[in-house]
Amino acid sequence: MKKQITLTVNGVKRELFVSPNELLLNVLRDQLGLTGAKYGCGIGECGSCTVLLDGEPSLACLTLAIAVDGSEVTTIEGLQSRDGKLHPLQDSFLEHGAVQCGFCTPGMILTGKVLLDENPRPTEEEIRAYIRGNLCRCTGYTQIVQAIQDASVKGKA
Amino acid sequence: MEKPQYHAIGKKSIRKDGVAKVTGQEIYTTDIVLPRMLHARVLRSSFPHASIKSIDTREAEKLGALCITSKDVPDLKYAERIVTIPSKTFKDRQVLTNTPRHVGEAIAAVAAETEELAEQAIGLIRVEYEKLQAVFDPFEAMKEGTPLLHHTILFGQEEIQVMNNIAASREIVEGDIKKGFNEAEIILEETFETGRVYHAQMEPKSVVCQPEADGGITVWTTTQTIHNVRQLLGEIFRIPLSKVNVKKIALGGSFGSSIQMNSVVPIGVALALKARRPVKLILTREEDMHDHCKYPSWIRLKLGVQKDGKLTAGHMRVVVDIGAHNTQAYPLLGCMAGWWVSLYKLPHLKFEGQAVYTNKVPACAMQGFGNPQVTFAVESMIDMVAEMLEMDPIDLRLKNYVGLGETFWGQGPTVKSIIRSCGVEEMLRKGAELVGWKEKFNSEKTGGIIRRGIGVARGFHTSGAGAPMAGEVIDYSGSIVKINEDGSVDFLTALMDLGGGTLDALAKIVAEEMKVPLDKVGISPADTRSTVYDVCTHATRGIYCGGGALHKVTGQAKAKLLEFASKILQVPPQALKIEVDEEAGQGMVYVEGVPGKRISVGEVAKTAQINNWGTIAAVDSLRQVSCPPCFMAYFIEVEVNTETGVIKPTRALAYADVGQVVNPDLARGQLFGGLYRGLGYALLEDTQYDEESGELTSGGWMTDFKMLTANDLPEMDNIEVHFTDTYEPTGPFGAKGIGEAALNPVAAALANAVYNAIGVRFRKIPITPEDVLGALRGEKKRNG
Repeated sequence: MKKQITLTVNGVKRELFVSPNELLLNVLRDQLGLTGAKYGCGIGECGSCTVLLDGEPSLACLTLAIAVDGSEVTTIEGLQSRDGKLHPLQDSFLEHGAVQCGFCTPGMILTGKVLLDENPRPTEEEIRAYIRGNLCRCTGYTQIVQAIQDASVKGKA
Repeated sequence: MEKPQYHAIGKKSIRKDGVAKVTGQEIYTTDIVLPRMLHARVLRSSFPHASIKSIDTREAEKLGALCITSKDVPDLKYAERIVTIPSKTFKDRQVLTNTPRHVGEAIAAVAAETEELAEQAIGLIRVEYEKLQAVFDPFEAMKEGTPLLHHTILFGQEEIQVMNNIAASREIVEGDIKKGFNEAEIILEETFETGRVYHAQMEPKSVVCQPEADGGITVWTTTQTIHNVRQLLGEIFRIPLSKVNVKKIALGGSFGSSIQMNSVVPIGVALALKARRPVKLILTREEDMHDHCKYPSWIRLKLGVQKDGKLTAGHMRVVVDIGAHNTQAYPLLGCMAGWWVSLYKLPHLKFEGQAVYTNKVPACAMQGFGNPQVTFAVESMIDMVAEMLEMDPIDLRLKNYVGLGETFWGQGPTVKSIIRSCGVEEMLRKGAELVGWKEKFNSEKTGGIIRRGIGVARGFHTSGAGAPMAGEVIDYSGSIVKINEDGSVDFLTALMDLGGGTLDALAKIVAEEMKVPLDKVGISPADTRSTVYDVCTHATRGIYCGGGALHKVTGQAKAKLLEFASKILQVPPQALKIEVDEEAGQGMVYVEGVPGKRISVGEVAKTAQINNWGTIAAVDSLRQVSCPPCFMAYFIEVEVNTETGVIKPTRALAYADVGQVVNPDLARGQLFGGLYRGLGYALLEDTQYDEESGELTSGGWMTDFKMLTANDLPEMDNIEVHFTDTYEPTGPFGAKGIGEAALNPVAAALANAVYNAIGVRFRKIPITPEDVLGALRGEKKRNG
């Protein structure tokens, strides 16, 4: 039996009908066409499905859509400003060569954004600890850490 | 010689797919949705070896699911990897099998309106298995009397018997090892083992298949080679290639996992053809881990050496546990021999290799194709020899390495070429200076819970599989280049970008050759219908081979451009020059020293259009006739905690010889990534089996497989990367490859550093904390 829920997704209020067992990841990808959040493991191991729920990084593959009725959801598609300008962290990822295959990138950027919101000048150790749940197989993380740290300084300036 | 000035090559740029990737707009196979699309799931064997007595899909069909079993797919054996010439290809796979040979092998599949329904349907299929005896150890598998996994397989078109579960074997001899070992003053013989690593590419293997009204099929899939997927599908389903179209699409990492046409592809196609509707099949992570892994290795290496450090002979014996199917073991063994003989000069050598079937997940290429395995053994052993000779390990390497003017085996004994660029001496000498090698290596390692050490290892990878002779492996690329009417340029290639930025490098090659600004070069969407053949993005061949072909074709388009410009400017084409005008955002054709004789590339193309002269375009293929090694050296420092056994890599210096660097920040990214995966290979990654059930002990979960995270690596200021000042005369603008080279020596450098720290020599990777503690308690130590 489907139930109606309301989510504010990237600033837009959405009325959705979901089954009780429907995952937020599938609702975003299949119903709303927001494919930036990726399926990488389905059980919360890799972080590719990371989205922000009321500003907190959350694993959309482990979240029942019905359980977050009324929440604000930010996906990677909602990070640019309305005029299309990239978020400083998106720019920094490009600038530092922190993107390779790109599959982990949406989740990594969203996690990095929350870190910088909470802690605008994180140390390298803090960055590494914060993103350790987001797996990347390509980059070895070095340029990702550089990108996040560089965006943090820029953000303050 | 003065270095040429480039406007695009070697310049930092934002990758062309970058904005799409940071904004979530990049579309991967898993993101594709088609009208009327069904969702597929696969039923997989619960047993490592069984014969299926019966399979009942009636209950599943009652749910409305469409089911297929081995009876519904073409009855033939195929090889999922087809870069080897057909007469040397071993074929032992079926689309769906009734004799599963590892836990997780596909035996039936369903397609239904939703993934949930498909999953329910899978649960309703009833299978009656007859369990067969399974074998998990390759040495056990080779014993007389051990049941065979495969009785007969195809070798080319010929049916052959499998003896003692040996899937392929090779013996390669040069010189006379008996004589060589007689000339030796010291002989050392050691055994090395490497792990069965899972690729763990972030995007699970996936496919979307659309049956076409004309009886054809369109396919989007995770692959490194769209043309080989197309050709195999044509062969399996007997569809003319003109009706099989494989679309190029972004790939969420690969590392070799999609070097072949993966098992999801023919299953998806079989379902779609039967359903006459599009079908999507995405593997779960657990299924993906049951699909492929890296080749593990057992290597027995004997080296003869004189007291002055000169190597006199080598004998390498290799056993590779390939799991349940032969993906490409015959060329693998040849390559392992080639990697070995191309590291150090051995006047007399013998290589004996065997690839053995066991009831495990099939092994396939993974970053290095046998090279990390061989390099771990050889580079560990070189350090052992150096210690016996009381020589600095760097001096011993410099004395024996295969370098400039010498023969390199880029792909086993049939693919040989001469080395024309080599940065080995620079990377070892300068690298040593930069890290303070002598002081750190020779410092006294006493006392304390934390012991520090430094290690070095070198290696290389090939740049492609080209050579003057055709050899056993196909290697060529092709491209189409056309100049648009505004002076921008489109290029089409079937070459895949696995994430490393290969296509950005190719765009720079076009920009540089045509002298147009990089932002005016467009990478066209491509599929097998619109492109000419490219073998595969593998063997570190993207820039050197794919880029080499594109360089050639761009030159042809440029010649046509100059021909048209010569008509317009009324001067012979050979009087024309071309330069980039960044301000105008155009390439400019001009006559040197004659003011006024200057026209933009766009004006030439537009004039050609207005005058009906035709499009300025070219199409061609190129086989590179050499495969230059991209050399690599790592200096790695570690801290070993003697109470916990934990090895912490604290510093690393990577020194690479890629010829001319094309994409500076992306080339650095290859080194950072290679270091990370190499450290995982050395310290952590392996897939292990429960020998009762035949199941992976990790269950297919990443957390239990275990990978290094952002937390486990040296800090960013403690990783240095350098490039040698080299130029490859046969490469596009002097470039050669990097990808696989970036990983190959890491494990040996790490193991050598651990030895330097605690005096324990590890011959088996991964080196776990348990291994370290066990060794510290028991094993005989250096000088002890």
